[in-house]
Amino acid sequence: MLRLTISNKTMNTIKFLTFIYLTTLVSFVAALPLEKTNQYNLVVNHPGEKKAIEIVITQILNEEDFPVSYYMDVPSVICYEQVCKIIPVKLFWNNLGEYQIYELEPQSTLEKYKADSFEPKDYIKLDRILSNKHSPFKDVLYHQILTSPDDNDVDAVSGATALILDDEDTVPGAALGCYTLWHWANGEIVDKIKNLTGKSFSEKQLKDLLSEDKKHFFPVVIQELSKRNNYLNSFVELVIQKTLEEKILIQQSIEYLEKSPQNVYYASMEKIFIKGNENQKIHVLRSLMKSNYTLERPYLSRLSNHASSLKSLQEVSLFLEVVQLKNPVSEVVIKNIFPLLKSDLVIARSVYWFLKNQKTTVDQEEELKIFHEQNKDKL
Amino acid sequence: MKRRDFFKKGAAVAAASSVSGIVLSSCSSSQNIIYDKTKDRWFHLGNGKSGVPNRKETKAYEVAVVGGGAAGICAAVASARNGTKTVLIQDRPVLGGNASSEMRVHLNGVNNIKGKAERETGIIEEILLHNRFENEQESYPIFDHVLYDFVVREPNLTLMLNTQAIEAIMDGNSIKSALCWQATTEKLFTINAKIFIDCSGDGLLAATAGAKYRTGREGKSEFNETFAPDNADGWQMGATLLMSSKDMGRPMKYTPPSYAIKYTHEGAHPRRHFKWFKDGIWWIEVGSNDDIIGDFEENRHKLMGYLHGVWDYIKNSGNFPEAENLALDWVGSLPCRRESRRFIGDYIVSEKDMTEHKNFHDAVAYGGWSLDEHNPGGIENISEPPSYFHYHFKEIYQFPYRSLYSINISNLLFAGRNVSQTHIALSSSRIMATCALMGQAVGTAASICNKYAILPREVGEQYIDELQEQLMRDDAFIPKRPARDKKNLAQKVTVIFANSTSSGDVKNLLNGISRDIYGEINHWQSDGLPAEVQLEWENPINLSSIELKCDTNVQRNIMMRKDSKNDDLYANHIPYEMIKTLKFYARVKGQWISLGLIENNRTRLIKCQFETLSTTAIKVEMTETYGANNVKLFELRCYD
Repeated sequence: MLRLTISNKTMNTIKFLTFIYLTTLVSFVAALPLEKTNQYNLVVNHPGEKKAIEIVITQILNEEDFPVSYYMDVPSVICYEQVCKIIPVKLFWNNLGEYQIYELEPQSTLEKYKADSFEPKDYIKLDRILSNKHSPFKDVLYHQILTSPDDNDVDAVSGATALILDDEDTVPGAALGCYTLWHWANGEIVDKIKNLTGKSFSEKQLKDLLSEDKKHFFPVVIQELSKRNNYLNSFVELVIQKTLEEKILIQQSIEYLEKSPQNVYYASMEKIFIKGNENQKIHVLRSLMKSNYTLERPYLSRLSNHASSLKSLQEVSLFLEVVQLKNPVSEVVIKNIFPLLKSDLVIARSVYWFLKNQKTTVDQEEELKIFHEQNKDKL
Repeated sequence: MKRRDFFKKGAAVAAASSVSGIVLSSCSSSQNIIYDKTKDRWFHLGNGKSGVPNRKETKAYEVAVVGGGAAGICAAVASARNGTKTVLIQDRPVLGGNASSEMRVHLNGVNNIKGKAERETGIIEEILLHNRFENEQESYPIFDHVLYDFVVREPNLTLMLNTQAIEAIMDGNSIKSALCWQATTEKLFTINAKIFIDCSGDGLLAATAGAKYRTGREGKSEFNETFAPDNADGWQMGATLLMSSKDMGRPMKYTPPSYAIKYTHEGAHPRRHFKWFKDGIWWIEVGSNDDIIGDFEENRHKLMGYLHGVWDYIKNSGNFPEAENLALDWVGSLPCRRESRRFIGDYIVSEKDMTEHKNFHDAVAYGGWSLDEHNPGGIENISEPPSYFHYHFKEIYQFPYRSLYSINISNLLFAGRNVSQTHIALSSSRIMATCALMGQAVGTAASICNKYAILPREVGEQYIDELQEQLMRDDAFIPKRPARDKKNLAQKVTVIFANSTSSGDVKNLLNGISRDIYGEINHWQSDGLPAEVQLEWENPINLSSIELKCDTNVQRNIMMRKDSKNDDLYANHIPYEMIKTLKFYARVKGQWISLGLIENNRTRLIKCQFETLSTTAIKVEMTETYGANNVKLFELRCYD
């Protein structure tokens, strides 16, 4: 089934030139099982619209009720002073909200400034532009797209300059259409689709996704677990495991775990602190610092058993701050951080100043004196 | 008189000009001036005394800045702040030049490069921010006073309003004094200074000093300029007379005055549109093919006629039903000038320097407004587009220091539209915020002249690094020239870290690039507030100043506009991103001691200065912005 239905005439023209390309695209779309669908009414913002717009998006499920893709008819390509026409366009995304392909109504064509038709290469270029998450259109301002060539610099009244984009970043003469479609394809809808996908997963599917190596789904899954307030041990353990494996998950995982019951929270933080890297340790310490849960005295003592694993000044400083705030007079903590006096000077110095204000043993006092004597010019 | 004849005789004409009642010798020293006012005798009715009023005063400064527009203000403030006793001489009753309430041109700069601003920082930004705090109502007359406040609060700076520098008194090829006439007091001032900076636009002082200059358009071949005419000619872009109107809520009649010049719009180029007519029409413009300064009063009269003629067309042609309730509520009487003398420096900036982004070793400023050359004839040639907009820049260009001092007058600097450049280059660099950057550069250069008792050329030859470093320390931006100030102790830090990061890297605060540019991130942004940055040195340092550059979103314009535009590109408020509250700490003997608290911060460049102390660590705690959830910094410096 050919779903990229540009007009017959246009298709004939581009068929030869783009056979391979289209085959690739069409194969994606044709492979979509269309039997099971859900429709959702959403409200989204688009930079070309003054108010939020109600849209209908269709979710496509596979035979196992796993959401695989989405499509939506873009209500209009916003136009201004004959720069382009209003033409319905159907956009397709995968289940993570990544744009996949666009489709036109039969007999429809896209047009450019002054009613020039898109050339075959322009259709392909448009698809490439929409696929580029980092397109310059991401940062272009709507008013700038609306600036017609006659509105150029006017030093007395306005400062508008006609938008200048590199040729590879736009379809010349159709910047407004490209801009509008890019923001439909890559705008707020992306997060909405992720939410729909997460919401559609069964508990089993969530666990399977975490258990299997489906890294791209981890953020969606963790977000969904958080929304469902799911802190079953099996899920929490999986999240911790994946967080330690995938460095980019730390912020999201901490946010998820911060909402967990106190015992789950502390146990999770301890595990990540012990096994985590520098950045993960810092996230844990920062979370502990601001947590409203009551910290039991032995907890930080246990963490301090791993003080020697703190390698950076930031980690050590944060750890000392947490100790100072949550458990200031622990003999165990003091004993455990004394070895840090042997670290690099900047770390050792911060430990020294911390210990100077603690209640220490005679031997520890002597050790501090020796440190002072050795480093008095650098304190 | 033919144009060529005029310019041959121009210097002589200027030298002979004098103030009524004064006989001036042609040059030498101020001691030779004959000031004959013995017939002017006052009689005091109160005490019965009589005498001759004393109307002669001599003042001495280290630097004299002539012209109180954006360039002159920035030059004077930069000079004064860098420790130089400075005078700012302005011939109008208000500061601001084209942006003053007398003229009301938007203080544009690099407003738009590929959809975003690349806004000027340094003194001009400080001025525009000051205006956002003091002038929420966006009133032009209030802007005059904001500028006045900005200038008079500087302890090293003296302001002389209503005072025109009319003639240079020379000592060889050096200006010894500027004779200045103060219209409101009938006083003739002799201003002695070591360095003179002419930011007056027309450059009367510099011209009378004999500084070489040119007017008109270069031919294509002289500088290989694509957009120059084939042959050189005398055309200079015109001056514009602006107006504004307001909606009275009921139909308003309009009858043109006697001097109105009928306007029909017949045969007008389509780009002569009326989109912003409510706030003025920039193409009501008259230039000159000859002596544009000498023609000024004649052109002013014409412009007033054209202004009312166009407004009559708007009100009474029937083509503008939307204008029915509008009435003029302000009309300019002082046209906003674009071009006249361009003085010659050691380098003449031309089109290709800009479009090919020449990398100047002595870059001190930048621009990026389009090559916006208005058509010859202005409104008297309406079949042509009002401007050709030859070229839109995709990135900013550098402006070199060698174009900012005179090639033949040893102690004379320039900033603004009168600097050393071609007509085509001027079509871009004439924009006020670009001129302001030049102003800060020459003001700072003048302070270096004063510091080492040298002349402007020597600054370029021997102290260009010092000039560039000082400019960047003072928050000017020089494209593709990262700061590398050896006195900056933050560069010697052992460890720097932040308590959170949502984008960028805290180490970027030390990379010497004070904005995100060329697709590269040079910032650190916190993840929420409060945010903290800490620096640690292995060995103790002596510290007396911490300087930050925070985010004010230089990609969004903040200048005042008549339409009070407020969108993603133009803001009519204080930047949300700017830090509002922050505290500084240093660790001394293991204790964090407070160095200072800044509440209601109003600047991008934030300085915390204190008694010198010995420390091994500092901490900056930022607790509030003007609206943003995160705080973003671009630079952190430490000095003894």
